Amino acid sequence: MSFLVAAALGVGLFIAVPIAAHLLRRGRVRERPFPPAALVPPTRSVARERSRLEDRLLLTIRALAILCLAVIGATPFVRCSRLSLGRNAGASVAFALVIDDSHSMRASGANGTRFARSLRAARELLASAREGDAIAIVLAGKPARLALAATTDLQAARSALAAVHESDRATDLGPAVALGRTSLAGLAHHDKRVVLLSDLADGALPEGDPPLWAPVPELTEPLGNCAICSAERHGRRIDARIACTSAEAAHRRSLQLVGGDKGAPSVPLASRAGVQDLGIDADPKLTHPELELTGADSLAADDRAPVSAESAALGLLVVADTATSSAETGGPPILEQGLAALDSNAVLHPVALLPDDPHEYQGNALAVLDDPNGITPEARSALITFVEQGGVAAAFLGPRIERAPLGATLEPFVRGALHWEAKTGLGLDEASLGWLGPEALNLGDLGLHGRAGLATSDLLGARVRVKFSDGEPFLTERSLGRGLLFTVALPASVEQSNFPLRPTFLTLLDALVNEARNRRGAAQSIAGTEWLFPSSSNVAIDGPSGAVGVRERGSAFGAAQKSAVPELAGRYSLRIDDAHEERVAILDAAEITTPPQKPQDPAAFARGAGKTGSVDASPELGFLALALLGLELGLRVLRRTLTARTSHAPSRA
Amino acid sequence: MTTLRQAFDWGKLAPLRLHAKSVADGVYAGSHRSRRRGAGIEFGGQRSYVPGDDLRFIDRHALLRHGELLVREFETETDRTLCLLVDATASMSFRGENAPAAKYAYAALLAAALAKVAITAGDRVSLDWLGGGRTADLSTSGGREAFERIVGALETAEPSADLQSDRAALERAVARVERRAGRGASVVVFSDLLDLPSGALDSISSLAVRGKSLVVVRVLDPVEAEFPFVGPVHLRALEGEARVETDGNAARAAYLAALEERAQLWSAQLLARQGSLVRATSTDDAVGAVRQVLDALAGGRS
Repeated sequence: MSFLVAAALGVGLFIAVPIAAHLLRRGRVRERPFPPAALVPPTRSVARERSRLEDRLLLTIRALAILCLAVIGATPFVRCSRLSLGRNAGASVAFALVIDDSHSMRASGANGTRFARSLRAARELLASAREGDAIAIVLAGKPARLALAATTDLQAARSALAAVHESDRATDLGPAVALGRTSLAGLAHHDKRVVLLSDLADGALPEGDPPLWAPVPELTEPLGNCAICSAERHGRRIDARIACTSAEAAHRRSLQLVGGDKGAPSVPLASRAGVQDLGIDADPKLTHPELELTGADSLAADDRAPVSAESAALGLLVVADTATSSAETGGPPILEQGLAALDSNAVLHPVALLPDDPHEYQGNALAVLDDPNGITPEARSALITFVEQGGVAAAFLGPRIERAPLGATLEPFVRGALHWEAKTGLGLDEASLGWLGPEALNLGDLGLHGRAGLATSDLLGARVRVKFSDGEPFLTERSLGRGLLFTVALPASVEQSNFPLRPTFLTLLDALVNEARNRRGAAQSIAGTEWLFPSSSNVAIDGPSGAVGVRERGSAFGAAQKSAVPELAGRYSLRIDDAHEERVAILDAAEITTPPQKPQDPAAFARGAGKTGSVDASPELGFLALALLGLELGLRVLRRTLTARTSHAPSRA
Repeated sequence: MTTLRQAFDWGKLAPLRLHAKSVADGVYAGSHRSRRRGAGIEFGGQRSYVPGDDLRFIDRHALLRHGELLVREFETETDRTLCLLVDATASMSFRGENAPAAKYAYAALLAAALAKVAITAGDRVSLDWLGGGRTADLSTSGGREAFERIVGALETAEPSADLQSDRAALERAVARVERRAGRGASVVVFSDLLDLPSGALDSISSLAVRGKSLVVVRVLDPVEAEFPFVGPVHLRALEGEARVETDGNAARAAYLAALEERAQLWSAQLLARQGSLVRATSTDDAVGAVRQVLDALAGGRS
């Protein structure tokens, strides 16, 4: 505090003047000599109360007026806790507001939730922005998203900020910072900053320019929390994953079933930080069970969680003949090995024959057939039912297509007789492989021995997605109901080509699995994970916070889709056309266990050139002082009027 | 004396000597005939007997004829004594904002003027005190020097002392006056009648017996007479520990009623003893006040 500030605020000491005057005035009232005082009847209470009320009111008004004058004198030197942007020589500033909307920001401290504090800080910074300043808003919940591209339209920034809500997403701070820097890259502003409004509960932040500024250090204060990340039913048992930030947060807490029997057992939590998997018995007949944690912590919302239905993991049905599809080195079929290598957290169900009953597809989202020799009518009917209900089926055709038994065809993939063509020296058309990513290169020679002649068959309106180098179809895609059918002209066998040995093979399998996951949707997914639906379907979603918006978007395979994002953890009820489905959004355990981190280099953060605000409140304080003086005047007039009404004496002694 | 004048504010009534002479000049003095009834040569009438009257003057014929106790009175040309009893307690030092001087100063002015009138008429004057500091009792004396001594004593006295709980002092003062005042003497008491000890009314009114004329002059400040306070006030008596916090507007009527009640009580008691009460405030014209006193004294004799 400078001398000027101290001197200006010292004016506030003159508040003692009206107080002294007040006391002196009260003193005169008390001590007035009057010899016949014994003849005067006392009316003590009325006199004292009225005098006290009026005097104190006037005293307060005068004191406030003096304080206002003192602060006016000190303004604009007085600092307040309001954030504002520092400016180099008054130049315009371009800044990206990186707002962390992850789950950990919902924790409550002494001043409300971290998220609310972040939004308040963002509003304060926006309020200090001037015409010409550019603002971008990036959300750091996983995946990082650009809520507002850099713009000088302050009203648009305020609108975008008003649309930001808290979520249970994981943290994706690094990409968010990169996104913020990218959004500022093309701007002509000389002064650029990335403002971090986050608890920094993530990995190391990427270095670079513009510099980072974390203006609200209290966001990184650790807050104790335990959360039920996920819960899944397995028969009579419910397996739950609990994550705690600290041993103190887990101390004397236990897991129990909500709405269970009175004597239902509870499982105590181990008093330690980190993840712990617990099991609890439950009545299998119990519908929509929920688990809860006893005790309290900084985030009550994650102390209760719904239980997912059994077999919530993504199921993959693999139909392959181990005798013909296995590698020479042994082991499971190559298709199985490829799907297992994706580490997609899916469950493989290898079968030798395609199921005849649609119920056997239950729990599976993808059916992959390797070198089928035909599909019987019963299996075909079950497969069509599976696909129409949102499943994805892919057939890797091989030489056995020519040995289809009587009555078996390759429908619904292709119609008509197919021939295995002996071809060599062919590769794939790279121009048609772009959607598979950078791995789909150098496929000019697949070491081909033969291929399924899709060109001669009826593709049933399928779209050719990948071609051989001679233009013949290699991969076709066909929509059927809510599902998709893929047909590949090569088998997953190294005897016919080296395609299964290429990275593109895994990329293709990964795309198929993702498409299956998106279409069918995992019954349990981390909050913030996008759910995709066919564009033709009619989708309505009801979640913990009400209806969830569904919007149109494109897909990896090019077709338009609908998508929805479960922002909050909890149970979601979906109605897709006429089918009803339930899904559960869960928490990422790392979001709980990763502690907030202090900036490793505070000096670097300081270079963000922000500051707490110096607010010129002179006009407001001036008006306040005038209002106080007017109020005092009014009080005096009122007092005099009342006195004149009640007075019986013409004058005062 | 100089020190005392500095300690006590005489206000617009200083110097007392000149003001007293001026007031006395305003009062008809002339060849003042001291008419008084009582023991003498020329029959002056009858009046009812009051305890304390000399039994020698009871009219036996009237008693035998009418069965009433009457006392015969006679007029005489004689020197008579004026006994002044001045209240110099602390309450007499009070002076309101609009008053020309304190109550004591006004009372001293009236006393000095009366003394001047009496001495000019050839009467003798004595001076006694109720309370006060540096007071000097003056025995009965006459002549020019007597006036100077009285004025000096009045100027020297300092209003102080709390007589409220000291009845013995009151009794002593009354006894001194009673000793100085013989039959036919005039006794004039100057007081605000406030803060006097209990029984003061009986003691003072007893001075009216044995052919003495008694006039009590109640001297008040205008503030005391009108109670002009507005709003909350905290009042403190100058004698005793009385303190009261009140609202001026609300308490005025009750106060004035209590003051009037006290005056009526004194007036009735004095009237029963052939005495009278003269009410004055320190803003009243002193000449008029002295005339009221003289008229009251004359009325008591008639």
